[in-house]
Amino acid sequence: MTPRGTFRLGLVVLVAALAVYPAVGTGYGVRAVLQIFMWIALAASWNLISGLTGYVSFGHVAFFGAGAYTGAILITRAGWSWPTAALAGGLAACVVALVIGYPCLRLKGPYFAIAMLGLNEVLRALVSYFEGLTGGGNGISLPTLEATVPVYYAMGLAAAAVTLLTYLVITSRFGLRLMTIREDEVAAEAMGIDTARHKLYAFLLSAAGPGIVGALAARDQGYIEPISVFPLATTITMIVMVLFGGKGTVWGPVLGAVVLFVSQELVWARFPYLHQLLFGSIIVAVVLLMPRGVLGVLQQRYHLPRTI
Amino acid sequence: MARPVLEVERLCKSFGGVAAVDRVSLALEPGRIYGLIGPNGSGKTTLFNCITGIERRDVGSTRFNGVRIDGLKPYEIARQGIGRTFQLIRVFPELTALENLLVVTRGSLAGAEARALELLRFVKLDGLKHEYAGNLSYGQQKLVEFVRVLMRDPSLILLDEPAAGVNRTLLNDLLEAVRRLRDDGKTVLLVEHDMKVVMGLCETVFVLDHGEKIAEGPPGVIQADERVIEAYFGR
Amino acid sequence: MLGQVVVSGILAGALYAMVALGLALIFGVMRVINIAHGPLLMLGAYTTFFIYQALGLNPYLTVPITMLVLFILGALLQRTLVYRVVDAPELSSLLLTFGISIALVNLAQLAFTSNLRTVEYVTGSYTLGPLAFSKSRLIAFVVAAALAGLVFLFLQRTRLGKAIRATSQSREVAMVCGVDVQRIHRITFGIAAALAGAGGALVSVIVAIQPEMGQIWTFKSFLVIVLGGAGNYPGALLGGVLLGLVEQLASLFLTTQLSEAVAYILLVLILLVRPTGLLGGRQT
Repeated sequence: MTPRGTFRLGLVVLVAALAVYPAVGTGYGVRAVLQIFMWIALAASWNLISGLTGYVSFGHVAFFGAGAYTGAILITRAGWSWPTAALAGGLAACVVALVIGYPCLRLKGPYFAIAMLGLNEVLRALVSYFEGLTGGGNGISLPTLEATVPVYYAMGLAAAAVTLLTYLVITSRFGLRLMTIREDEVAAEAMGIDTARHKLYAFLLSAAGPGIVGALAARDQGYIEPISVFPLATTITMIVMVLFGGKGTVWGPVLGAVVLFVSQELVWARFPYLHQLLFGSIIVAVVLLMPRGVLGVLQQRYHLPRTI
Repeated sequence: MARPVLEVERLCKSFGGVAAVDRVSLALEPGRIYGLIGPNGSGKTTLFNCITGIERRDVGSTRFNGVRIDGLKPYEIARQGIGRTFQLIRVFPELTALENLLVVTRGSLAGAEARALELLRFVKLDGLKHEYAGNLSYGQQKLVEFVRVLMRDPSLILLDEPAAGVNRTLLNDLLEAVRRLRDDGKTVLLVEHDMKVVMGLCETVFVLDHGEKIAEGPPGVIQADERVIEAYFGR
Repeated sequence: MLGQVVVSGILAGALYAMVALGLALIFGVMRVINIAHGPLLMLGAYTTFFIYQALGLNPYLTVPITMLVLFILGALLQRTLVYRVVDAPELSSLLLTFGISIALVNLAQLAFTSNLRTVEYVTGSYTLGPLAFSKSRLIAFVVAAALAGLVFLFLQRTRLGKAIRATSQSREVAMVCGVDVQRIHRITFGIAAALAGAGGALVSVIVAIQPEMGQIWTFKSFLVIVLGGAGNYPGALLGGVLLGLVEQLASLFLTTQLSEAVAYILLVLILLVRPTGLLGGRQT
């Protein structure tokens, strides 16, 4: 069988295994895989904007938080079911992305990064300000619901969807154009590419995933507060996962999410500061030594297609 | 006489108080090859940048086929039908040669691919179409950048030092290609330091010095112009 | 009311300006955006705190020591890590300094814990008619203004300072003129870190010290640079004062958190209208 055939078969087997896992796995196992799905969706989404266009989004967790709050508010105040609330969370995140992205993406690379750094803080401030709606510092408690397994499947779907989206984008001319923004934005413009519009589209696409999984996570945790859904740590983790696995590739974020989550659970969850220190060091190491990430290096060495 | 393809009127552009382009006016007739020469720092690339929208001019106007293009974004100007290459090659290194050509097109992918392959064959690079542009040699990258400009079939083509760093054989192919473009009715304006290229290829030459246009005319006349000689060699 | 706002704004502004000047230097000379700037300030605050705790010294006397410590740290960071991304695409330097900033903050968490520390040395304020000058802020203002002034003198009058300015304008030309560019980069980063450290030392008397305290300083320094123009050193001074004034004005009407949001929106608005900063600086 050809390598591609083996790969496809492997993929089918994996999906099937993951689909039946809740029936045979432990509670802990199911929650762990659920979180891996979430991180895959987050990392792959960050990859869509930052990996492809080179515009580093340092505030991406803001979309996660926006989705979480939207979902939580709709579930508790408007009685929505959590699947629809999750979709609404994704939509809300896209709206935020539109409002922020439209002005900010016109800024050249480093200025955009600076603007995104502050986004997180601003959203957190807004959440505190509109206490009536968001419960301010007290957060929101969702009605108790044993929904781990359905959320597992929903997260899995989200992860698969974002990965598929990445594949479709990378293999399209749209994706190529996004990459030219990373390669040489001035030349891209000189060639007739409307870089502002393309950046905005990529940004919107990259916000939907975090918005949806934010709302799903809110449902899963049953309680959210500003610190839990707007932590810088989430952005850091997203970035490390993509950098490690290989930015700009399809499976890089997936690899990064799996490897780093597992290491995190096994080794570092007990030492939060140490683990973050390590993450920071990994970013430094990857940037200096392995800027293309694991898959990027393999891709270059063995002339693999871009779609790995 | 046909209306000019490009009309630049008293264009001025300063950087921090220094005039890079100083009241430059020129007009390009369709279907001809023009040269733009001048000592280093005379404002040639800045002029290109102003025409293509990469820089915003301070004063003056630029008209393309009678329509003002000042203030348009670079991509809008490109879509109007102006293409350019750069002094320092700007291919997209992580895209393959073929992708470099495809990425600038819109509309039918099949049509674009056919055209891209045809252009690559024209410059004898179709064997390397799946090679990352960053891995190509300098001359090969130059050719890719050249045909990439042609993908959108522009009517005005600005070439910034097309002969720089290119070996003789390749150069002849390039020059032949430029002549063919002219024969197809396109207008070409090229910045060049290689005088032999300019003299052999261009029908009219503009000379810039310290941002000002100091001479304009056929190559033979320009060569003998006192002000031009002075600009290059001093008194 | 308004007078108080102006006074408080200017007092705070000088401090912002001095710290941001460091950031502007790094950007001007190396084209690197140092996201780890805030954490450097934080380390300065801790340095002063520990010296104060150990020796009971007047914390303001520790400023030179803190500056020296941070200078060395900055030069080291540049020499081992940052030098490799000086000519790299912006993404690399952004991510690198981001990684360094995370590492520094968490090292601080591990070493110092997140317990709040304070340097109780100067409290209270002077009054002049209807205006009140917080003592600690006044001293911070004086020291910051003096240090900023010294840096400017240094840049204008000394050979090293001129070399720095030359490198900032054109690295190639500086090299041709015999400037050891690598050394200049190291020294510049060191100076910038020292300025951040001085800021930390001054701030340690005013606010509580904890590992996360630097983050907001990074952001505000960027804001100052944007207000004053990237790569425009005198602009950083003006930008600092502007930020101080705007903040104080905003705090009259809004909660602190919301006034930070205002600062952020201001940043974005300015960048949209003048991407090279209010006073016009260098394009990246």
